[in-house]
Amino acid sequence: MRRRLSWWMGGILMSLLLLYTFASFGAGRPLGASTYVPYYAGILFAMNPEHYTYLQEIEKPGAWEGVMLLGSLVGGFITSVFITKSFRFSIMPTGWKVYKNSSVISRLIWSFVAGFFLIIGARLAGGCTSGHFLSGMSQTAFSSMIFGGVVLVSLIITGKLFYKSGDSK
Amino acid sequence: MSIGEYFDFVLTRTEAMYNIVQNEGHGSFAIVFIIGIIFGGIIQYTRVDKFEKIAGFAMLKDTTIPKMLFLAIGITSIGLFFEIKMGYAAYHIKPMILSGLIVGGILFGISMAILGKCPGTGPVSIAEGRIDVLVGAIGGIFGGYVFTKYYDTIFKPLMGTNFGKESLANVSGAFAPYFVLIFGVALIVIAIKIPHMELLDEADLSLLDADERPDANSSEEIELIK
Repeated sequence: MRRRLSWWMGGILMSLLLLYTFASFGAGRPLGASTYVPYYAGILFAMNPEHYTYLQEIEKPGAWEGVMLLGSLVGGFITSVFITKSFRFSIMPTGWKVYKNSSVISRLIWSFVAGFFLIIGARLAGGCTSGHFLSGMSQTAFSSMIFGGVVLVSLIITGKLFYKSGDSK
Repeated sequence: MSIGEYFDFVLTRTEAMYNIVQNEGHGSFAIVFIIGIIFGGIIQYTRVDKFEKIAGFAMLKDTTIPKMLFLAIGITSIGLFFEIKMGYAAYHIKPMILSGLIVGGILFGISMAILGKCPGTGPVSIAEGRIDVLVGAIGGIFGGYVFTKYYDTIFKPLMGTNFGKESLANVSGAFAPYFVLIFGVALIVIAIKIPHMELLDEADLSLLDADERPDANSSEEIELIK
């Protein structure tokens, strides 16, 4: 079995999954993947939904994505163990070592901070790569095109400024 | 809150999550779970959950993500239009909350370049054993906590005016089929036309058979890092 799927095969499969998720015989809703984070935060920090407007707003989408996330953990685990054979514990991506630095502490601190603002950003915009790019732009939504443009620009500027990709290597 | 009460709370909320999904009418628990498995499977199998793919795109050294993303959006936009016309689906447009989209998009783009993951690819990376991403996810849980706690006072006011849920298919009225078709085809063409560049690390390449190794294919632009 091939251990690596080409980008076009992945794109076709992803669009079939999206069309199934949208369909009334599937889930009858778009696919998203960032509402689960505040939903799980509410559970782990024992936040009572009665006291937080946001938890009330995301009660249903949060639960849906919460279940989907559990599925994607299982799916990613199965594929990495049995198909791509890429499962191994690691703490430092090769690309970080080459283009940033070789300090584990630096990688972990940046991971934590970036993870923190990744979710704040996604929730401010009302969606992430899945909800806005995949599902939103497929619906030709203007909100998702605005988000897509802003993310693209800030992603590439950060890539230029944050990593030393030009000189090193 | 004692430890016992805490576990009771977590159990009750988890049970509520199951019940909401089971009774909400957006697919049974099993269907949603399987959608998740396939979603995670596709992401892992195409390896777009790798740091080198997302941070590599930010450095303009890897174009797998935009190629796959634009192709998926292009096909889905056309397919979804027909699906809706046949009565099997409906649009669920997100509102244009302008400052939320811009401030959120900037924060999201910066964080995505640094973490090298987004909320969908992150869990898949954790499932293949990436500890640094797990730390990022813990940061994300704190982010979700802060957002929920200060939603009324800080974040909701910051998001600004809602300019409604508009889309290209919406505003083009009778011409919608043509506009959606042009939009979809244009994205598919862009996906194919973006030059294919890859940033690969030796650890992953060494797992592949000789004929699977993309660095053996000279027509693509490959950068190897060790």
